[in-house]
Amino acid sequence: MAGGISRRKFLTGSACGLGALTLGAPAIHVRAQEPTIRCGVVTSLSGENRFGGNLTRRGYDLWAEEINKLGGVEINGDRYRVEMFYGDAQSRPASGADAAERLIIRDEVSVLFGPYTSGVTLAVQPICAKYGVPMISGSAESPNVWLEQPRFNFGMIPAVDHSAGRSIAVIAEATGAASVGVVGVDEPFSKETAEGFRNGVNEAGLELTRFELFPANADLSPIVSNLKADNPDLVAVGGHEEVLINFINTARSLDFRPKAILMHYGVTAAAFADQLGGDANGVLGISVWTPNLPYRDDLFGTASDYDALSHSRWGSHPDYTEAACSASGLVLQDAAARLGKPPAWDRQARLELVEALEATDIETFYGPVAFEREGDHYHNNIQPVPVVIQITEGRVVPVAPKDAAQTELVYPLPPFS
Amino acid sequence: MDLLLQALLNGILIGGILICLTIGFQLTFGVLHVIDFAVGGWVMLGGYAAYWASQLLGLDPFISIFLVFALFVAVGCAVGPLIYHVRTSRYARPDLMALAFTFGLFIMMRGGALWLWSFDSRSVDSWLSGHSLSLGPVTVPLLRLSAFAMALLLAVGLFVLLYRSRFGLAVRAVAQNRDHAGLMGVDVKRISAYVYGLYTGITASAGVLLATIYSVNPEVGVRYTLFAFFVAVLAGLGSVGGVLVAGLLLGLVESLVGTYVGTRYSLLVVFATLYLVLLVSPKGILQRGI
Amino acid sequence: MVSKRPRRSLLPVVAVVAGAAALAALPAFIDPYSLRIATGVLMWAGLACAWNIVGGYAGYISFGHSAFFGIGAYVTGILMQREVGLAFAATLPLGVLVAVAIAAAIGGPTLRLRGAYFAIATWAFAEMLMQLATVLDVTGGTGGLSLPAYLNEFFFFYVMLGVAAVVYVGAWFLLERTRFGYRLKALRDHEPAAEALGIHTTRVKVQAFALSAGITSLFGSIYAYWVTFIDPRSVMGPEITDQMVVMVLLGGLGTVWGPALGATVLWLTNRYIWSSFGDTVVYLPILGLLIALIVLFLPNGLISLLPGGRRGGGVLGRLWRKL
Repeated sequence: MAGGISRRKFLTGSACGLGALTLGAPAIHVRAQEPTIRCGVVTSLSGENRFGGNLTRRGYDLWAEEINKLGGVEINGDRYRVEMFYGDAQSRPASGADAAERLIIRDEVSVLFGPYTSGVTLAVQPICAKYGVPMISGSAESPNVWLEQPRFNFGMIPAVDHSAGRSIAVIAEATGAASVGVVGVDEPFSKETAEGFRNGVNEAGLELTRFELFPANADLSPIVSNLKADNPDLVAVGGHEEVLINFINTARSLDFRPKAILMHYGVTAAAFADQLGGDANGVLGISVWTPNLPYRDDLFGTASDYDALSHSRWGSHPDYTEAACSASGLVLQDAAARLGKPPAWDRQARLELVEALEATDIETFYGPVAFEREGDHYHNNIQPVPVVIQITEGRVVPVAPKDAAQTELVYPLPPFS
Repeated sequence: MDLLLQALLNGILIGGILICLTIGFQLTFGVLHVIDFAVGGWVMLGGYAAYWASQLLGLDPFISIFLVFALFVAVGCAVGPLIYHVRTSRYARPDLMALAFTFGLFIMMRGGALWLWSFDSRSVDSWLSGHSLSLGPVTVPLLRLSAFAMALLLAVGLFVLLYRSRFGLAVRAVAQNRDHAGLMGVDVKRISAYVYGLYTGITASAGVLLATIYSVNPEVGVRYTLFAFFVAVLAGLGSVGGVLVAGLLLGLVESLVGTYVGTRYSLLVVFATLYLVLLVSPKGILQRGI
Repeated sequence: MVSKRPRRSLLPVVAVVAGAAALAALPAFIDPYSLRIATGVLMWAGLACAWNIVGGYAGYISFGHSAFFGIGAYVTGILMQREVGLAFAATLPLGVLVAVAIAAAIGGPTLRLRGAYFAIATWAFAEMLMQLATVLDVTGGTGGLSLPAYLNEFFFFYVMLGVAAVVYVGAWFLLERTRFGYRLKALRDHEPAAEALGIHTTRVKVQAFALSAGITSLFGSIYAYWVTFIDPRSVMGPEITDQMVVMVLLGGLGTVWGPALGATVLWLTNRYIWSSFGDTVVYLPILGLLIALIVLFLPNGLISLLPGGRRGGGVLGRLWRKL
C-alpha cells in the first residue's frame, strides 16, 4: 500500500525533522554570567517594508557592535555589554505586537528599538505601555505615531509633515520654480509626505498642477503621461526607493524630464544611485542627515567617520535612517548612564529610564537630540534641520538652504544622457 | 487627444506582457486543471535569473531570456510530475490539494529568495533601457515595445507548437479528455510534465521582461499572481486564445482608469470588473472557458 | 449517517466543555507571551472552523473570507473611534449583522459559480473590498485606524476561548446532528442529486455562507480590539484567507475537529519557527516546504492520523492494532 509507506516515511521524516529543528534552533539560551543590557529590535525583516526594516537593523547593529568593542555601556564606572534580540514584524502590525511581547517576556529585554513603519509602531506602543518598556524608534517618520502622545516611545527622525513642506519653499526660493506636480504612493508615510509637499506648495503660493496618490505596485506610465501633459517646473514624489526607481525609469522611457525632481524617501539610500546609475544624477531629496554635516560624538567620531565605518561594515553608504538608528543607541547609552542603575532593569528602573530619555539633550554624529515634551510631535526629536540634497555623480550632496549647501543646485536639469 | 493616444499605447504595451504572463498558466489549467498559485513565484525567479545573467555573465536580458526559458523548462519538467501526482491522486479534493501544494511552493520561492538574495530591488539593464521613439504626439518606449514584441513572439511560438505539431496535438487531446487521450496511447503523465515545463519557461521569460521594465525583488510575485488570475478568468479558465483579448483588455483598463480617473482607483475597477464579469458571464468574456 | 450509537452522541460536547475548562486554567500556568500565542491559536481555530462550513461541508472553496474578517474589524474599529465611542461589546453584533447581510446579498449570485470560478470570484470580491477600504476616508485609508488599547491579555484570551468553544459546539451540532448539516453534505457530494431530492440548494448554500461570514466577522472584531491597530492589508489581505484554507486542509477538510487541529499545529509551528529563527527569514522557506510535504504525504489532514479519524483509524490506529 503506497499510501501507507509514504505516510510512515512522512512520520519518520517529520520526527527526524522536528528533532533536528529542536536541536538546531537557537532555543538554548545560555545566560551570560555578568549582567548585560538586553535590547530587542522589532522591525520588518520580511514583507513589503523589508527594505527599510533591514536598514534600521543595520543601524542598530552597528551601534551594538561598536559599543561592545569598548566593553559595553558605561554605568557608574562599570561596563555592561549589549545583547541584541530580534523579532521580525513581517510588515504586519499583529506580528509586530507578537514580536514585542516575545522579546519582553521571553528574552527579557528592558528596552526596544523600534519598527520601521507607523502601522507596526502603533501596534507595538500598547505592548510597551503594558510592560513599561521604553522604545526608541530610529525610523518612524509618520506624524500620526506621535499624535496619541505615546509615553514610552521616542522618535529620532522629525515627522515628515515637518520636513516635506519646508523643502518645497527652500527649493522654490533657490530655483524660481513656479508650478509643482505632486504625486505619492498611497501608503501611510508616502501619503503624508505627498500631503506635506502639497501644503508646502500652497503655503509658498506656487501653482499646484496635480495631486495624485497611487498604489505601490501600480504601473507608473499613466501618472508620468499625465505629468508630462501638465509639464510643471518641479515634480515632487513621495514614495519608497523601489517606486522612485520605477518612476525615474518610466519618466525616462516616456522621455519626460521636468526642470527639477524632488523625491522622498530613499533617494539618499545607496541603492537608489546604484540602481539608476547616471539617471539618478540631478534628483533632489530631503535628508535630515548627510555625512558632511559638522556633527560628532565620542563613539562614532564625526559624521563622515560614521559614513566610512558603516561603509566598511555593510558595503554601502548609510542614509539618514541608518544614522538615526545608530544614534538611537547613543541616546540609550546616555540615558542609561544618567539612570545610574546596573541592568537588568526592573519596571521601576525602566520608568526612571523613560524619564531619563525624556531629559535627553545630547550631541551625536547624527546631530543634536532632544525630544519634544508636548504637542503633536510629543516625544519626537525635531532638532535635525532638513537639508535639500541633490544626487551629483552618484553621491548625496547638500545644495540648499544656503548655509548647508556645498555646491550650486543644478536647475533646470539637463536632458537624460 | 494626445494623452488618450499615449494612454492607449501604454495599455497595449503592458497588455502584451500580461498575455505572456498568463498564457502558460492558462495552458496548465487546461491540461492539469491546476490553479497555480506559484505563477508569480516563477515570474520572480525569472527576473532574478536575468539579473544574475547580466551581473555574472554580462548578458543583455533580451539574450539571456532564451537561457532563462531553457533553464525553467527544465525546472518545470522536474516539478511537473509532483503536481501531476497531487492532482490525479485519490485525495478528497485533489484540485484543492494541488492549489495548497503550489501555495507551499510559492511561499518557499518567496522565502528562499528573501533569504538568499536579501531584500533590495534589483534592476536589470538592457541596452534598450531609456531609449524612446517619438511617433507624432506619442512617445514609444523602445524597451517596452521590444518586450511587447518578445512576449508576442513567445505566445505565437506556443500557438504554433500547439496547433502545428504532434506534441501540440497530444496536449490538446489531454486538455479535451485526459482518459480518452490516455486510451489513445498518449503518455498523459509525461505530457503534463512537459506542459508544466513549458508554462514555467514562458512565465519565467515574462519575468525577465517585467524585471527589465520595472525591477525585481522577492515580494513582487503576489501582484503578478493576481494579474495572471485576472487575465485567466476574464479569458475563461483554460482558454488559451481568450488570453490574447483579456490581456490587452486588462492593460487598457489599467492605463485608461489610471490616466483619467486616478491610479488609486485602477485596482478597485479591475477587481470590480473581474467580479462582475464572473457573475454575468462565468466562462469569460468570450464564453470559451471550461 | 444517522448516529447508531446515541450514547456517544454527546461525547464531543463533553470533550469541548472539558477542553475549554482545561484551557480556562491555562493562564495560571503560562507567561503572557505564551498566552498571546494561545489567543492566536483560538482565533485561528475559530476562523478555520468558519471557513470549513463553506469549504469543507458545502464544498465551495472561498478565497474571500478575509473580506468578512475585515468587515468585522472595521465595524468595530470605526464604531470605537472617539467620535462615535461605542462600547466593544456593542460593536460585535453590528459587525456580524453587516457581514451576514453582505454575505446574504452576494451569496445568491456568487454561489451559482462552481469550483475555481467561485474561488476566484470570492477572491476578487475580497480584493475589491480591500481596495475600497484603501480609498475611503472613514476607514482611515492606508493609514489605518488605531483603537483604544485595552491592556488585559486575560480578557482577550477568555473572549476568544468562549467564542471559539461556542462556535465549535454549534458547528458540530448544526453540521453533524441536524437536517441542515445533512443537506449541506448532500449538496457537496452531488448537487443535482440533492436538488432532485427536494433540497432547496441555493437557500442552504446561502445560509451556510452567511453563517460562515458572521463567525469570521466576529473574530475580526475581536482581533481589531486585541491588536489595537488595523489597516486594509492587515485585516483584509489575502494572507488571512490563505491561512484559513491551509489550516483546514492540514487538519482535515470537512471534519468538525480537523480545523482546530490544523490551526493549532500550523499556528504553533509558524510562531515557533518564526521565533527560533528570529534574525533571519529562513522560517519562510521551511514553512513552505512543510505545506508541500503535508500535501504530498498526508492528504487527508492530520486528523487522519488520530484513532477514530476519517479513514477509520488512520495511521496511529493501524499502528495500535499492530501492537
